[in-house]
Amino acid sequence: MMTFLPPRLRKPTMFTLAGLLFAGAWLVHGGPLWWVSIPAVIGTAASAARLYRLGGTDTDEGARAGSRADERQQLVSMRSRALACNLAAITSFIGLTVAIALRAPWWWPFLITLLITGYGYLFGLGTYGVAEEGTPDDADASSQTQFPVSS
Amino acid sequence: MRNRVKEQRTQRGLSQAELAAALGVSRQTVISIESGRYLPSLPLAFTIARFFDLTVDKMFDPDDGEADA
Repeated sequence: MMTFLPPRLRKPTMFTLAGLLFAGAWLVHGGPLWWVSIPAVIGTAASAARLYRLGGTDTDEGARAGSRADERQQLVSMRSRALACNLAAITSFIGLTVAIALRAPWWWPFLITLLITGYGYLFGLGTYGVAEEGTPDDADASSQTQFPVSS
Repeated sequence: MRNRVKEQRTQRGLSQAELAAALGVSRQTVISIESGRYLPSLPLAFTIARFFDLTVDKMFDPDDGEADA
């Protein structure tokens, strides 16, 4: 995605697009709070500039911001995202449980988040190789015969 | 797991940044590998071993200490 852009520009560009979308939502929302879109645009521009500057530094954070992370930095990022998803799922479950107990009408966003994280996990298992057991070749089959595993 | 990356690098008079550039990884990753905090992937382990003209088992000693998960 966005590979036509230089690596250092990718994250700031994504961030800018997301920020402009958020600011646009406040404009469309209208009413007395339309002005929230102005600080949203300013904050987006400042954060995008900060991301771009960070992308030029010789640090782990700089490598991630500059989209040039190596395998260790990608692993750290992946673990961090996994932790964030775990927390999102746990928080959603707690929120759903509390909403049900209180008979509150705001239970459904928790359910949607819980379903998305749950299906995302299952989709990840399917995509990244849980169904790769395959059939054993002759050597494996004979070794299984010689050394049966008792449960 | 102990490795000989630092030993081999200093023998060749390379800085961590120079080795990182040669291996195509960051300087921080070279530091992590040298200190044993990070176990490189198999492809990177082969790249490191080949760079120093050693075999992987000469470069990384699995019998020394506990392996990271």
